[in-house]
Amino acid sequence: MLFEFDSDQRLWQKTAREVLTRECPPELVRAVADDGADPAPLWRTYTGLGWTELVEPSEAVELAILLEELGRAVDPTPFLATTTWFAPLAPGVAEPGQTGSAVLDGVTAHRDRDGWVLHGSARHVLDGDRADWLAVVTEAGVFAIPGSEAVVTRLPVFDPTLHVASVTLPGVRVAADARLAVDPRPARDLALTGLALTIVGACRRILDLTLDHIRAREQFGAPIGSFQAVKHKAVDMHVALERARALAYFGALTIAADDPRRRRAASMAKAAAGECQSVVVRNGLQLFGGMGFTWENDLQFALKRAVAGELLLGGAAEHRALIAEEYRAAHI
Amino acid sequence: MQLTFDADVESFRAEFAAFLDANLPTEAETTERAYSSAHVPDWARRWQRLLFDSGWLLPGNTPEFGGRGASIVEQYVHLEELSRRRIYHSFNPQGLGIIAASLLSFGSEEQKRRWAVPILRAEITAALGMSEPGAGSDLASLRTRAVLDGDHFVVNGQKIWTSGAHDADVLLTFVRTDPDAPKHKGISVLLIPTDTPGVTRRPFGSVVDRDDVDFNEVFFDDVRVPAENLVGALNNGWHVANGSLGHERTLLWLSFAERLEDLARDFHPSDVLGADAYARLVMDLQALRLLGSAALARAARGEQDVAALSVLKLLGSEAVQKASEQAMESAGADALVHPVVAAPYAHLSLEAFSSGWFERYLRSFSGTIAGGTSEIQRTIIAERVLGLPRS
Repeated sequence: MLFEFDSDQRLWQKTAREVLTRECPPELVRAVADDGADPAPLWRTYTGLGWTELVEPSEAVELAILLEELGRAVDPTPFLATTTWFAPLAPGVAEPGQTGSAVLDGVTAHRDRDGWVLHGSARHVLDGDRADWLAVVTEAGVFAIPGSEAVVTRLPVFDPTLHVASVTLPGVRVAADARLAVDPRPARDLALTGLALTIVGACRRILDLTLDHIRAREQFGAPIGSFQAVKHKAVDMHVALERARALAYFGALTIAADDPRRRRAASMAKAAAGECQSVVVRNGLQLFGGMGFTWENDLQFALKRAVAGELLLGGAAEHRALIAEEYRAAHI
Repeated sequence: MQLTFDADVESFRAEFAAFLDANLPTEAETTERAYSSAHVPDWARRWQRLLFDSGWLLPGNTPEFGGRGASIVEQYVHLEELSRRRIYHSFNPQGLGIIAASLLSFGSEEQKRRWAVPILRAEITAALGMSEPGAGSDLASLRTRAVLDGDHFVVNGQKIWTSGAHDADVLLTFVRTDPDAPKHKGISVLLIPTDTPGVTRRPFGSVVDRDDVDFNEVFFDDVRVPAENLVGALNNGWHVANGSLGHERTLLWLSFAERLEDLARDFHPSDVLGADAYARLVMDLQALRLLGSAALARAARGEQDVAALSVLKLLGSEAVQKASEQAMESAGADALVHPVVAAPYAHLSLEAFSSGWFERYLRSFSGTIAGGTSEIQRTIIAERVLGLPRS
């Protein structure tokens, strides 16, 4: 196994980074957070570039590269939910440019003469308030419904550019043929891996900002980055990031190859990203000193995105429990 | 990115696997154990010689040096197959991996013939004299002195931590030949046979057990060494040191991955916290293999990225240490018993079989101390990977 990008993948990463540096700079993220600027033009840019069409499982590594870069830019659009929550559950349902998300639990489907009736509600649906489509997972199967048929409320969350909503389906009627022929279990793997890559990207941004700071900030007549206690904290951030990044791409690779390890790999990706953000956020905020403790510093956006990612779809500890169980079952 | 190796690499693997299946020493043959890293029982010498003669000892070498010109990826696969069967290719690992390798890189043709080949064929064993009481992490400050006197060097000084020296036939010894030069520029390397008058070896027990004797102090008292035993150019020893350790670095992470594999098999979590630690171990193992294979791909292209290898050493050695401690805690009071069986019986590596949990935990510190401590690794990574200023 040779685990590194090929030349096409390196070029793709470079292109994505250049586009995002230009189209999604920190000023834009700040404008969304502070002034309520609308990220819709940015979304249209992504759509225009064809980014929202990267939904074939075989393209999972290319999507992963994009998601890491979007995490680094602290993307304010519904790209993550559309491509990793909605698309794998409802392939081919949305038009290019439409947004989507998924209601993963809390809804039941009842059959009657005219079709199906969906009842229930879910909290903490990523981008549930701005989804053109919702994929609704029930015991009876997966249904795709227009987002407008759900009652959605955006929740106030600490990450100012993240959309999280409670979604209620108060008896939504769908036609008998609206049930999608899709197995919801593999979709989970992409949602977890995508979130892991988002966290990894945000952590990369925190480390970059921290390194810039400790190289420039002088105390006791020297850059603080020359002090060993500071260096070693920065290295711990780097190592945690390398580990999490490797496991996140492993998750994407197992999806692309439909490898039997994909379920465990997705949990490893999410758990490692969670462990990574713990080290990176803690050391990053610490090394920034007072300067990181202000609203004006852009560090806050990546910090909040990284922690928010840990809190969605099960944290590191929950996924470690699953990994331990599955690994021993598979190997003993 | 790919999850599998190319077909030609897999056929190389299959060929070696077939060789191993046909030739692995049997349980009856392997009763005599190795007592140190330079004590090689007769059966292990025969085994190493068979590998050498078949071109399977170090497949990256040319046939005259026990190989078959294999690529770095094939060398990795070779080590994987050995590790899967829990067999070492040599019971004198530093002789093979550092000393013979250094001679093949820096030695004269005569030195290769006279010293490297016998080490590779397990006719003699070797130990590495680098560290001194005052030169550990700061290796370049070493003070063992060698003065040229006619056609001999006269060596005086002391080495320590010289693994296997009491059982070794020859020491690759780093000495100061120019005390006036900057510290990195006055070092040379000498091959010193251990039966030379004035060489005194004093083995001492490790923290594991009084009888666990591999480390030595080695004293040199007016030891006369033929000038032809100089390896590489005079005062070019620091270059040899970097090269010597570099040989080991590219695949060093694999030894940590193997220990994590062992732990993943032997560690039986007894509660929720144990299972949590177990999952971290499995993740560390997977991440180490992934990052290691990326390093392998770089090496295959001829790129030397020493600092990135420091990340692997740091991650691997600390993961082994954490997991060993947690496996010990999971075993509870049973881990008090020493020695205790904490692994399945494996006749080719009885050491692992009979090492108790506390011993495994203690031995994990050789990973975080030897070959550059974790603190030194962090400083290297900070300066060379993250570009932070030197203090």
